Amino acid sequence: MNTSTRSLRLYLSNKAYVVGVPIITLAAMVLVSVLIALVMGIVVGLPLPHDVEEGFRNNLGSLTALPGFLVSMGALAVNRNFAMALAFGSTRRNFWVGTALGFGLTSLVTAVAAVVLLALESLTHGWFVHTHAFDVTAMGNGNYLKAFAMTFVLSALSLFLGALFGTVYRAFGASLTTVTAFAMGIVVVGLIAVGVWQRVRVIAFLADWGLWAVVAIVAALVAAVAAASYSANRLATF
Amino acid sequence: MTPTVTETSGIQIRQLHKSYGSLDVLSGLDLTLPAGHIYGLVGPNGAGKTTLMSTICNHTFPSGGTILVDGENPAENAGVLERMCFIHEDQPYNDVFSVASILHVMPNFYPDWDAALAQRLVARFQVPVERRARKLSRGQKSAFAIVISLASRAAYTFLDEPYLGLDPTAREIFYEELMTDFGAHPRTIIMSTHLIDEAAALMEEVIVLHEGEIVLQADVDDARSSAYVARGLADEVRAFAQGRDVIAQRTLGRILSATIRGQVTPGDEDKASANRISLEPVSLQDLIAALGIHTLTNALTTENR
Repeated sequence: MNTSTRSLRLYLSNKAYVVGVPIITLAAMVLVSVLIALVMGIVVGLPLPHDVEEGFRNNLGSLTALPGFLVSMGALAVNRNFAMALAFGSTRRNFWVGTALGFGLTSLVTAVAAVVLLALESLTHGWFVHTHAFDVTAMGNGNYLKAFAMTFVLSALSLFLGALFGTVYRAFGASLTTVTAFAMGIVVVGLIAVGVWQRVRVIAFLADWGLWAVVAIVAALVAAVAAASYSANRLATF
Repeated sequence: MTPTVTETSGIQIRQLHKSYGSLDVLSGLDLTLPAGHIYGLVGPNGAGKTTLMSTICNHTFPSGGTILVDGENPAENAGVLERMCFIHEDQPYNDVFSVASILHVMPNFYPDWDAALAQRLVARFQVPVERRARKLSRGQKSAFAIVISLASRAAYTFLDEPYLGLDPTAREIFYEELMTDFGAHPRTIIMSTHLIDEAAALMEEVIVLHEGEIVLQADVDDARSSAYVARGLADEVRAFAQGRDVIAQRTLGRILSATIRGQVTPGDEDKASANRISLEPVSLQDLIAALGIHTLTNALTTENR
């Protein structure tokens, strides 16, 4: 058996965790959106009137529900699984490649789940109450391909970001992990500042390229974070 | 299939250094371990036993020197590393993995994985298979590490204090299973231990580490015959030990036990008998303890003579 596949199998040892939990999290996000709609319906009536329904198109639950869990999952995978894979005779490279394949699989399944939930949302006219969880602006307003791509790259970014923290911890210890987190925080704040400063150009850029531009930027970040994680993993020790 | 042991197979270490900052853990260590034997790695806490095994297995990086396993550098060498199994004494497991899920994935890592042996060991050690691995008790973790190590049939199996937390019955099971499996599938086993006398029957060769250096590497039987203990009234024993290489002594009231390097001659027996001194074989534990003390003090102090 290919040695990278061994680490992939290790990653998939608990499928309920690496595949099931992301799907359940997305489903729970739908449930929360429906519950909020039901509560609002007490005042505005059900199904929700058109203007309230349109407000739900700004629902960011599909973007914010997963990253926290996926970051911790990525960190745990490269930390604990790394120690296990090494104990079982794996190389660092094969461990990282196998685990990265696992991240790809989790991201793929999560993206497919998002598309399925989007389809159900469309079929049920907003879960029978005209609410929106996936048919939202941030996910391409019902475009299946955009919803798939956005969920895939966001999931991958979260997992590899967790992996980066996990590998930096293994390679350099807790202090440098804290420094890395702090530095990344500064980078994010810096990017936001540049975005605000150049907001006219940014808005024009997004208007021209739309959600695909965001997908491309996130995908580039995935590549950069994955490369950094791979490099750190080469120096990681038990 | 268990790899064939050849004349050239084994572990060769030359001038191995490992330091953490200013702390030297391994200091220019030379070691040759021919394949197909059981080695006992002993020494006080902090001697460098786990670091040595970790460095051989590429779990940590050497600061200097060379390591060859079957003639190849094991660093990021999949062909070499996949023939190794080293479960650390404090082995971390993924928080959500159960014992069963880990055992299920093991055949992917080890083509010679013996599922029947794993199943038997799990039953004999009463390891709860549905429990999460990180939730196992100290003894259960040790037993689980033994299950993986033995069932892996890895050509190079490293056991890190494998008996920790095991009760005497479980330790007996471990010794019995190790000897049975080793007899059927010879391979290289390197085991760090503090229970020296208890594990002595398993070891073919003992390697004593002290402050990052090897102070003894010898066949276990040869080591035990390299010294003896003279026990009797203190003054009589001191007189008997005069001019001999005394490497340790212990006093209990008026009774003195002196560990003396060398072999007992018929003349020694007569002299000891005349002075009511008993000459006894040294235990491996006492010999190693004596060597540790000997290294530190190098000799008995004048007032103790």
